[in-house]
Amino acid sequence: MTSEAVSLPSRRSSRAHHFTATQVIVGSAILLAIAALASLSLGPTGITLSSLPRALMSVFGVTDDATAARERLVLFDIRLPRTLLGMFVGASLAIAGAIMQGLFRNPLADPGLIGVSSGAALAAVATIALGNGIAAPLLQPLGVYALPVAAFVGGIATTGILVMIAGRHGQLMVGTLLLAGIALGALSGALTGLIAYASDDRELRDLTFWSMGSLGGANWPKVLAVMPFALLVVVLTPWLIRGLNGFLLGEAEAFHLGVNVERTKFVSIVVTAASVGAAVAVAGIIGFVGIVVPHVVRLLAGADHRVVLPGSALLGATLMLVADIAARLIVRPAELPIGIVMAAIGTPVFLHLVMRRGIGGVE
Amino acid sequence: MIPTLLTRLYCLCLIAALAIGAVAAPLRAQQSVVDGSGRRVPLADTSRILSIGGDITEILYALGVDGKIIAVDSTSQYPAEALGQKANVGYMRALSAEGVLSTNPTLIIAAKDAGPPPVIAVLKASSVPYIEVPDDKSPEGVAAKIRFVASVVGAEEKGEALAKDVERDFALLSEQRSRIKQPKRALFVLSVQNGRATIAGTGTSADAMLKLAGATNVASEAHGYKPLADEAGVELAPDAVVTMQHGASGPPSDAIATIAALAESPALKQNKIIEMNGLYLLGFGPRCARAARELMAALYPDLALKPASAGE
Amino acid sequence: MLRACTATYRVGSKALISNIDLDLQPGKLMAVIGPNGAGKSTLLRILSGELRSTSGTVELDGRSISSYRADELARRRAVVSQATALAFPFTAREVVLLGATVPGFVSASEQVEHAAIEALRTVGLLGLADRLYPHLSGGERQRVHIARALLQLAFGHCDDAEPSILLLDEPTSSLDLAHQGVVLAEARRQARCGRAVLAVLHDLNLAAAFADELVLMSKGRIAAHGTAQEVFRDELLSRSYGCEVRTNATPEPGVPFVLPHARRD
Repeated sequence: MTSEAVSLPSRRSSRAHHFTATQVIVGSAILLAIAALASLSLGPTGITLSSLPRALMSVFGVTDDATAARERLVLFDIRLPRTLLGMFVGASLAIAGAIMQGLFRNPLADPGLIGVSSGAALAAVATIALGNGIAAPLLQPLGVYALPVAAFVGGIATTGILVMIAGRHGQLMVGTLLLAGIALGALSGALTGLIAYASDDRELRDLTFWSMGSLGGANWPKVLAVMPFALLVVVLTPWLIRGLNGFLLGEAEAFHLGVNVERTKFVSIVVTAASVGAAVAVAGIIGFVGIVVPHVVRLLAGADHRVVLPGSALLGATLMLVADIAARLIVRPAELPIGIVMAAIGTPVFLHLVMRRGIGGVE
Repeated sequence: MIPTLLTRLYCLCLIAALAIGAVAAPLRAQQSVVDGSGRRVPLADTSRILSIGGDITEILYALGVDGKIIAVDSTSQYPAEALGQKANVGYMRALSAEGVLSTNPTLIIAAKDAGPPPVIAVLKASSVPYIEVPDDKSPEGVAAKIRFVASVVGAEEKGEALAKDVERDFALLSEQRSRIKQPKRALFVLSVQNGRATIAGTGTSADAMLKLAGATNVASEAHGYKPLADEAGVELAPDAVVTMQHGASGPPSDAIATIAALAESPALKQNKIIEMNGLYLLGFGPRCARAARELMAALYPDLALKPASAGE
Repeated sequence: MLRACTATYRVGSKALISNIDLDLQPGKLMAVIGPNGAGKSTLLRILSGELRSTSGTVELDGRSISSYRADELARRRAVVSQATALAFPFTAREVVLLGATVPGFVSASEQVEHAAIEALRTVGLLGLADRLYPHLSGGERQRVHIARALLQLAFGHCDDAEPSILLLDEPTSSLDLAHQGVVLAEARRQARCGRAVLAVLHDLNLAAAFADELVLMSKGRIAAHGTAQEVFRDELLSRSYGCEVRTNATPEPGVPFVLPHARRD
């Protein structure tokens, strides 16, 4: 028995993958923890976590010292919600990207493919441009939350329309979904352009900044708003792993392997739409994470969704935090749009991996 | 026992406060102001001011309190030393809460347009007084804005003098405007890209400025800044084209010459292209009336207007 | 056990297969032969439950196959389709482990890993277990999928009351002579273990050499069903394939074989 075991290829430690699943998961979890601590401790005010005790005293009303109040404001009302928001948004986008790539069996798929981003963008643009005009009675009661609420509803509604178009006899046609998603994206883009055309200078600048994405407006209500969706993803993801692995061989093979194909497609799309819709709603359009992070995980540890899904979530959150830290420090006291920083940090890393490893033999 | 102690403490504080108030001018007795959003904001220390909005920075400099300004936003382009010497918190509609607080202001004076809303909400919740300046792009609005800002920083006298100057400028402007027999038809060109111009319709600062300068905006059918259609542009046939000097974001006059739609217009035939500094022209700060009169002088050279420096 | 009864599958007005009556029995290797477009693969997809017959029935143990859930079916039968492309680069071993995808299977345990290695050994790919799938040759890929199906069968619940089924669509199309033998011998071994095995084969001689029963399909119908000796008739094969063929038999065991009639000028 022992002699036979020697002749077997060693388990999982292979030439094909650089790291084992455990290494990647544990490694990215540690990276995330470091990034989260850094995100809490770094900022233009120079307040660090060493101020935590005093800030806590202020939270519990033990002291009414002005310095403590300021530290409390920065740590608990600015950095903590911002850090949590970054983690939720980064994890949601990356995991949604991994799910979409698996579902469409296409390495170029991104979370926006099912129309959720373009729908959210259309709704957001409409809110910015019409919020003080025609749509005011509808949006005014929502106050500051008009924009995120509208973006979320717009994203979900667009995906709903797509699913209705691509659904036939209780089956979801993935090809139709893809094409209809592109068509609907173009239509949303046209309508967005139309609204942008009709908006004034100030609104245009708002649109531009919104479309570049930012964690700048992070606050507790936003964190609480995006949290249920991030948790939904976490809860449903383990259920999707087998299904998406089966999809790797194609829909028919997935069925042969015992995957409930229609339910996998449906759950994938609902999870993606909800989490991306929420992420876009609170942070604007942030590209790159969704498409690139899953590839990085695949290049490191292989394409098994047992690694790709949790690994993407952890690395997506990490990348988001690192980019945000840079965004708030580079031009302080002003701030760079996070999408720009993310692309600047992520692209060289990604290209390095691709050049060294190829795209992992994708056909 | 305890009440007497408290009374004595209170008296001590009062004396101390009075003493400090007498010695250090910036520290004013506790008072408050109702800002542009209708919020009552307590005012205490005006020694470290963060100014958000080009017009507000300009007013603060004109009031001579520039020494107290510690940071400005990226639209504060006049005077040039504002952006050169003070910290820059970025574009006024894309502020960062921690970035703003890291400049350690004791007072934030911001234009109504400052954003994004969640960041403003955090700033309003902080212990730093956040004052929103009322904004009205009219002669009265400009004067009111100056008086408001002056009252916030405790420079009422200078503010009153500046506001009076501005009002006088506007009165002069209006008097000059009344002498115009035939209003010129003018077009404001914001930018030119590949021979396509973006022009100012109604509801823009440029439109308001053209009106102040006694001109008719030929693009009044458009709303906001819009691209100029080639064929429709021929119909506009403006007598004059107003644009911003290069360096800000506007095109030089030879770029204007590339706009096909305007090639046959009286403005280009007579080379009536007026270039002015963007913030000066469209900022609606204290120099607004002077800018309008300068523009008027350029539009109507034969009216023999007084030079534009009457406000000084 | 797996029985098709007047099963017909239409796309629009065209019937890809019509009135198929077929009964898969445990312990037997059945080969489906016939010219291109005869409906062999469609038949296999109908039997696997992937397609639903437009008329007639397909029943597994007397219950309509469409009433089974995907995971119930997966525990009973494994399928190897033609030319499966992978969206992302898995290693050979990971593809084989997909055979243990069905919910309820123990996944990633020592037991499954060991079974996966066994399946790879069976198809002669032990040394390539950690090679990325896209880097494998066509024949190696085909064998990886067969190993995957073997793993699925090994971990489906298998007892005599509910024997399992293996459906192979041209499992030898890219294989060399030696590996054709390996794969079909394994298919026959699976049948001997009490499973019902059906393989669509293009190579008539391989079918005759390994299968217990041959089903000849032509134009969507079953043209003949029986042993190789019964099906291999010059006139029948020539008519079905639309070309002149000659059948013959090997000397000692008397295995029939067929050659196209080559005119020598």
